[in-house]
Amino acid sequence: MPLLAAEGVSHLGGYVFISSAMFVLGIFTMVTRRNAIYVLMGAELILNAAALNFVAFARHHGDGGGKSGALDGQMFAIFIIILAAAEAAVALGIVLQLYHHFPTIDVSKPDRLGD
Amino acid sequence: MDAFMFWFFGGCALLGAALVALMPKLVHSAFALVLSLLGVAGLYWTLGADFLGGVQLLVYVGGITILFIYGIMLTPRDATRWSFGSLVLPGVLVAVPVAVLMSVAWKGLEAALKPAAPVTSAPTTDAIGSALLMRDQYLIPFELSSLVLLAALVGSVYLARRRKGG
Repeated sequence: MPLLAAEGVSHLGGYVFISSAMFVLGIFTMVTRRNAIYVLMGAELILNAAALNFVAFARHHGDGGGKSGALDGQMFAIFIIILAAAEAAVALGIVLQLYHHFPTIDVSKPDRLGD
Repeated sequence: MDAFMFWFFGGCALLGAALVALMPKLVHSAFALVLSLLGVAGLYWTLGADFLGGVQLLVYVGGITILFIYGIMLTPRDATRWSFGSLVLPGVLVAVPVAVLMSVAWKGLEAALKPAAPVTSAPTTDAIGSALLMRDQYLIPFELSSLVLLAALVGSVYLARRRKGG
C-alpha cells in the first residue's frame, strides 16, 4: 500500500493553494535577494511548486487519456527533479567561478563575461 | 487523519518556503529549504506517489541541499549577509500580482473542471519503472535525461575547477 494515500479524499484546491504559495515565495526570494545562492534557492522553490501541481492534478483528474493515465503527472515531476539536479550542479559551478573572477557573488555587481 | 497529514506536510512546505524568503542568514535559509522540501515529499506521499516522495528525499533533501551547503561554504561570508532592504518593494510589486493572477486563474479553472473521482492508489514503483522503459511512453526522455546528467556532470566539474594562473 502506498504510504498515507487518501482514498476518495478530494481537496485539489488545498494542493493548488500550497503550490501557488510556494511559487510566489520563490519569486519573492529571487527578486528580493542579491546573493546568487538565494536566487538559486528561489528557483528550487518554484520548481518544487510546479512539480507538486503536476502530481496533484494528475491524482485528481488524470484518469482520462494517455497510456499511463494518472502516472503522467508523476513522470513530469521525476523529469523536473532530474533537470533540477543538473541545474543546481551547473549553477553552483558558475557561482564558484563568478566568485573566482570577481570577489563577490552579488548578482548585481558583475558586469562582464570574459576577461 | 488524511486531512491532518495534508495540513502537517503542507504547513512544513509553506513554513519552510516563507523562512527561505525571510531569514536574514544564508545558512538558515538553506535549512529552511530542507524543511520545505521535506514537506513537499510528504505531500507526494499523501497524493499516493510513494516512489516520487522517496526520490524527492534522496535527490533534493540528500543531494541538492548538500550542494547548496557546499556552495555556501565555498563563497565568502560577507556575501551572505542580509541583502534585503531596498528590494522589498520590488519583491512585493512582483509577487502580489502573480498571486492575484494565479488565484483568478484557479477560480476560472475550478469552475471549468469536471468533477472526477480521484485516481485510486496503488504502489507506483513498478508502474513507473515500466513506463520509463516502454518505447511508446518515456524511453526517449529517459535516455535523453541520462545524456543531460552526463553533460551537467562534466560541465560542472569543468566550471568549478580552479584555473592555473586564472
